[in-house]
Amino acid sequence: MIIKKLIEKVEGEANLNFEFKDGKISSVDIIFNIYRGIEEILKGKAPRDALVITPRVCGICNHAHLIATVRALEDGLKNSGLEFTLTQKAKDIREFTLICELIQNHIKWLYLTIYPYLEKLLKIERSDSYALKASYVANTVTKAMAIFAGQWPHSSYAVVGGVTCDPTYLDTIQALSYIEDAIRFYEKVVVGINLDDYLSIESISNLDKLGGDFAKILYLLGKNDFNKIGKSFDRFIAFSDSKISKKAKSIITTVSAVEFKFVKEYEQNGSYAKGVKYKNRYFEVGPLARAMINKEPIIKSLHKKYKDATITRVYARIHEVALLLKQAKEILQNLDVTQESCILDSKIDINNISGIGAVEAARGSLIHKIEVENSFIKSYDIITPTQWNLSNNAVAAKAMFGLDSEEIASFVFRTFDVCSVCTTH
Amino acid sequence: MADDKIESVKSLFTAKSAKVETNKGEKYYENLYAQCRERLDNLKKIVPVSNNIKIKEAIEEEGVSRRDFLKWASATTAMLMLPASFTPLVAEAATLMNRVPVVWIELQDCAGNSEALLRSDGPTVDEIILDIISLEFHETLMAAAGHQAEKQLEDAVETFKGKYLLFVEGSVPMGLNGQYGTLGAKGETFIDHLHRVAKDAAAIVAVGSCATFGGIPAAAPNPTDAKGVMDVVNGKTIVNIPACPANPSNMVGVILHYVLTGQLPELDSLLRPKFAFGYRIHDNCERRAHFDAGEYVEEWGDEGAKNNFCLYKMGCKGPMTFNNCSIVRYNEGVNWPVGVGRGCIGCSEPDFWDKYAYERPMANANIKAPTGGVEKTVDQFGLGLLTAAGIGIGIHAAASAVAGKKDKGEA
Repeated sequence: MIIKKLIEKVEGEANLNFEFKDGKISSVDIIFNIYRGIEEILKGKAPRDALVITPRVCGICNHAHLIATVRALEDGLKNSGLEFTLTQKAKDIREFTLICELIQNHIKWLYLTIYPYLEKLLKIERSDSYALKASYVANTVTKAMAIFAGQWPHSSYAVVGGVTCDPTYLDTIQALSYIEDAIRFYEKVVVGINLDDYLSIESISNLDKLGGDFAKILYLLGKNDFNKIGKSFDRFIAFSDSKISKKAKSIITTVSAVEFKFVKEYEQNGSYAKGVKYKNRYFEVGPLARAMINKEPIIKSLHKKYKDATITRVYARIHEVALLLKQAKEILQNLDVTQESCILDSKIDINNISGIGAVEAARGSLIHKIEVENSFIKSYDIITPTQWNLSNNAVAAKAMFGLDSEEIASFVFRTFDVCSVCTTH
Repeated sequence: MADDKIESVKSLFTAKSAKVETNKGEKYYENLYAQCRERLDNLKKIVPVSNNIKIKEAIEEEGVSRRDFLKWASATTAMLMLPASFTPLVAEAATLMNRVPVVWIELQDCAGNSEALLRSDGPTVDEIILDIISLEFHETLMAAAGHQAEKQLEDAVETFKGKYLLFVEGSVPMGLNGQYGTLGAKGETFIDHLHRVAKDAAAIVAVGSCATFGGIPAAAPNPTDAKGVMDVVNGKTIVNIPACPANPSNMVGVILHYVLTGQLPELDSLLRPKFAFGYRIHDNCERRAHFDAGEYVEEWGDEGAKNNFCLYKMGCKGPMTFNNCSIVRYNEGVNWPVGVGRGCIGCSEPDFWDKYAYERPMANANIKAPTGGVEKTVDQFGLGLLTAAGIGIGIHAAASAVAGKKDKGEA
């Protein structure tokens, strides 16, 4: 028996075709029906044009695309023999704005996707205006980001060699006040305790300290078997060193190095999305992957008991917000505004280069590969996080195998924070 | 410099930059005021489309003062190019926004405009977005999903036949018989979907560069043959709010104007509301004085950059781009691209993705010269003529650099 289900609110939509055998899901086809051809569009354009074009792949993680492009171009220049090191200021500002994008995404996922759908699934009367909570945090954090990036979405302030902005100390104070507003919200509404107390929770035996919406969600997940279902390959990967993760993979809790050359994309029948594998195996990307690679104590504790079940996955994403808020604050407090913003001449020719840029985006590792020949882009390859998680029979599909209801399966699907527009680009 | 070039610079900088009529005379506004008054009184009698929250109560609950609300109303009145006496009416219109149903569909897009709308500004703007404007159907915001959502759309279209404003985000892929973009369980193409939902709309508002002019998907070689809404739908009133993303203030502005007057705002030849697109970025840019003084950023992060000089030489497209970013800014007015020294990329102009992209000053760009004439009105100031301004300004910029060097040499 095949049941077709349409999943919306995944920044676009996806069609899931479930195949049931003996009442249980035995296979899932995930199909995305929108295509723009952005990689084709990039071909033949001037390399720096990519900085303006790739953010438009996605209205939600546009900033990650910008940073991936600028890193790919810089990597290419380095590969071609140009030696340079960005200033710490430029690196910090890029990291800060990326962190802001992750925070607003995770909070929106929590309040526009997971919380409402969980209540709907469990037929619980909706108690709150979640959308208002989501937009409060998203507004606050994107304002902090706009101080450095000019606007969000679709900013283009990162350039080859650094950033264009030249913030004053006052700007950092203003940004800090927004971040502190977001921290207060997280403390008061999301976890119900202050940030440091929250971050000191390292074991599931201390989870009773939690309050707020997070406690409610965990209670509902635990009570409804989501600590048992949603398990997948238990293999995780990340391709960028950042404040919250490193370039590595984690297989059965063993962390080891990775290389880009083992990443392979392939076409999938009936869908505009390409699949992707590492050494011919599926890997999960995203907050859970980052936490496993980074050996976050509370996530390890959850993982020890529940493996990569839905509850662990949901926990990792909400937990990551706390880590990010702390990092955002620290970056701003230590930002040296006196350093140079940009260290490369804007007229430097980008003639013949080949480079890779990776970013930890909200949904996981985003990889851009660029090849420039005679000053024009010869090929541009974008591998988005959702491709890793949602290839056919890959991570999300495996998490849904064996479930007896497509409603529950759809919820499990959403815990991966699916983005359709990114996936097909 | 050749005489004709000097003349062209002169004429460029002595011409009035845009001719938007901001004062239409006392009589006109008296009539309009009466018309708005009547409209609002009629709207009050209508039952709200969705009455989750009343704006007055919402304002109090959110701790926004009446004063802040009126401040927003007066700023919005000015943005809509109405006299200050209309402020109370605009405030009242905001409280009546839930009388006008809004349907929002996403086609070939990145969801960026929805994202921008989510962080629109104003008092309790969250409410304006989520409750006061009645978003009867918005894929990103509504609680229903899948088949239920499709049903909800059908219901909205049926119930509010001829009354709803249809907001469209994203371009329409015409290639492969529309197979580059399909939706729903039945796999309806975006083309059919748009035609179906557009049929009974009171008017269509295309938001973002994709829905207006095709946007990034239409960039060469336009793999999916992406088109803007106005090139696909005929016989409907269409308003274009380009920019990538469109400024949420302009989206709210169009709705508010419709609520207030019962009509769409005055449009230019590209169907853009004049209140937002009547001026160029350059006309009201905070760095304009540096342009006039010939003070430019010559390199990212140089002394000029530190002093917020003009970004024209770094490829800023402000002089050729019609939009009100320099006044309204982004993210609740916190900042905008020029504010971080990036320069405008011209994202609200047709073809910006192919013609204006990155770091190439217009004067250096290999774009065909226009067929003569200086700018006259917004309507006549088409893309071709924009280039004229670009070349003229290029001359000015070059001249200033020479002048600057000369001064230094003498000193």
